[in-house]
Amino acid sequence: MLTRGTLIYIGQRLLLIVFTLLAVSFGVFAVVHTLPGSAFVSERVHGQALQILLHEYGLDQPIPVQYWHFLQGVVHGDLGVSLYIRGLPITPLVLRELSVSAMLGGAALVVTIGLGITFGVLAAVRQNTWVDYLLTSIAVIGYSVPSFVIASLGILIFGQWLNNITHGALYYPEPWTGTYGSLIELSLPAIALGFYTSGQITRITRAAMLDVIQQDYIRTARAKGLENRVVIIRHALRNALVPVTSILGPTVISIITGSVVIENIFGIPGLGKEFVESIFQHDYNVTVGVFTVYALLIGFANLAVDLVYTVIDPRIRY
Amino acid sequence: MATAIPNPSTIEYAGGTLAREQVSLWRDGLRRLRRNRLALAAAIYLGLLVLVGLVSLFWTPYKPNVIGACPTYELPSGAHPFGCDDLGRDSLSRLMVGTQVSLAVGVATAFIVLLVGVVVGLIAGYFRGVVDAIFSLLINIFYGVPPLLVAVALYVLLGPGLINIIIAISATVWMDMARLTRGQALTIREREFIEAARAGGARAGKIVFGHILPNALGPIIVQATFVIPIAILTAAFLSFLGFGVPPPRADWGGMANEGLPSLQGGFDPYILLFPALALSITLLAFNFFGDGLRDAFDPRQKR
Repeated sequence: MLTRGTLIYIGQRLLLIVFTLLAVSFGVFAVVHTLPGSAFVSERVHGQALQILLHEYGLDQPIPVQYWHFLQGVVHGDLGVSLYIRGLPITPLVLRELSVSAMLGGAALVVTIGLGITFGVLAAVRQNTWVDYLLTSIAVIGYSVPSFVIASLGILIFGQWLNNITHGALYYPEPWTGTYGSLIELSLPAIALGFYTSGQITRITRAAMLDVIQQDYIRTARAKGLENRVVIIRHALRNALVPVTSILGPTVISIITGSVVIENIFGIPGLGKEFVESIFQHDYNVTVGVFTVYALLIGFANLAVDLVYTVIDPRIRY
Repeated sequence: MATAIPNPSTIEYAGGTLAREQVSLWRDGLRRLRRNRLALAAAIYLGLLVLVGLVSLFWTPYKPNVIGACPTYELPSGAHPFGCDDLGRDSLSRLMVGTQVSLAVGVATAFIVLLVGVVVGLIAGYFRGVVDAIFSLLINIFYGVPPLLVAVALYVLLGPGLINIIIAISATVWMDMARLTRGQALTIREREFIEAARAGGARAGKIVFGHILPNALGPIIVQATFVIPIAILTAAFLSFLGFGVPPPRADWGGMANEGLPSLQGGFDPYILLFPALALSITLLAFNFFGDGLRDAFDPRQKR
């Protein structure tokens, strides 16, 4: 599997990731440091005290110099310190938040892929019946209804109505309590986040399945007397998964985007919440750090998807 | 009449000729679109929405931004069919005004993306080589960052305001259009009629905009209609996070955001539910309409 071509391809992609990272971090760095307002505004420091403060954080230097220092830090895995909570190192903070977000995103990905593929296969197998129409309608609703609407409806139904009906026996606890939350706390945000992208996956799985089912080898499999379930799952689905893999990249980006909103609704202490807070608090070092981590994440997610490709369809070589 | 070239689609029968009506590609597509009931219903809904938006420019049942026009947190009633929000503003009036923002953002973004994406895509696809490599790298870099975050950063940089929101969103959604147009240009430029045009001495500009663009227009228009719901959704996300049009102007995402505390508090879910519903139905309509357009005008593309 790991041929020379694949290794060269991986090398090229890593280069692109590094290049993207440089472009993104410099872009964000330049943008963020020209923004009006600063983290120190609310502290009413003026004159010499402000100068000392700016000097302490290196903010009195020209932006290219600041960026150079930032890059030197990044190479050593150091994203600098927070300006809002003065001196708090950003790297451990962001890593912890990344793990929270990754857990939420991972759960959402499971929901998305599980729902999407199940619905897609069912719709294809029952093509042009009410099952098909129902599932494809759910798919369109999925990618039309914003995730914060699903989340709010979830809170309304599970957090309040069910609670009232069952007198507190069934209750969705909200907001999120600990850093990582319990499995029940995780369920609603993960579903709200995953439902949106599951629609696209349903559509593509359905189309791919319909394409595959018509092919000769499926007829052969049926002709030799295989059970329908085995034909669908082992023979058809495996080949239908190839086009599905192609949208996993955009799916991951969608989930990251959606998580910013979902984390803010449910009070989940992840990267997305930190991003919005850092903007509102003018804590620009954190903003740059979160951006860098996101760009890294997306780069590696896309690379991983491309490699999964070669596993699912061995004909694909790079 | 003996010299007339027989039309292959003409069937002669006793009493005359039965010919299939000659229609252009566009007329044919329009007919297919009209037969798609879901797309038609969506189009009617969107027409009504535009009407509501226009009416709200001149008239709303109450003044949308006047605080205390009705009792705070009033549930839906006869006088206020959609209830009132946390500041005692009439929700129906604000919903009507919110239509303007959603439609403006959707349509304006689609136009900008159409312009930028098509020009970039055509140039990259037609000239290939270094130009293509540079544009492709740019596209890949933009694909490498989460769009919502870029939009937020741009919004903060440009400052609040409808036009800045449109610019910020356009910057995050132009890549799909550029990539699609580039692909179209790459295939169309190899066709014989382009070679013929080049042999005839046509300049690059004439070939790109006079020959390649018209032949790529079907998929491009379909893609543009899908930009509208994406832009509306992104705008809703932005204003839901607090990066929307500056208050007191009403927009659906912002209204939903204002309604979240009272929903979470469990005393008035309607402040959030109605704008959420309006957003969802509108996005559904745009998606159904876009699907219909694609089936009608771009039959080669299956999804």
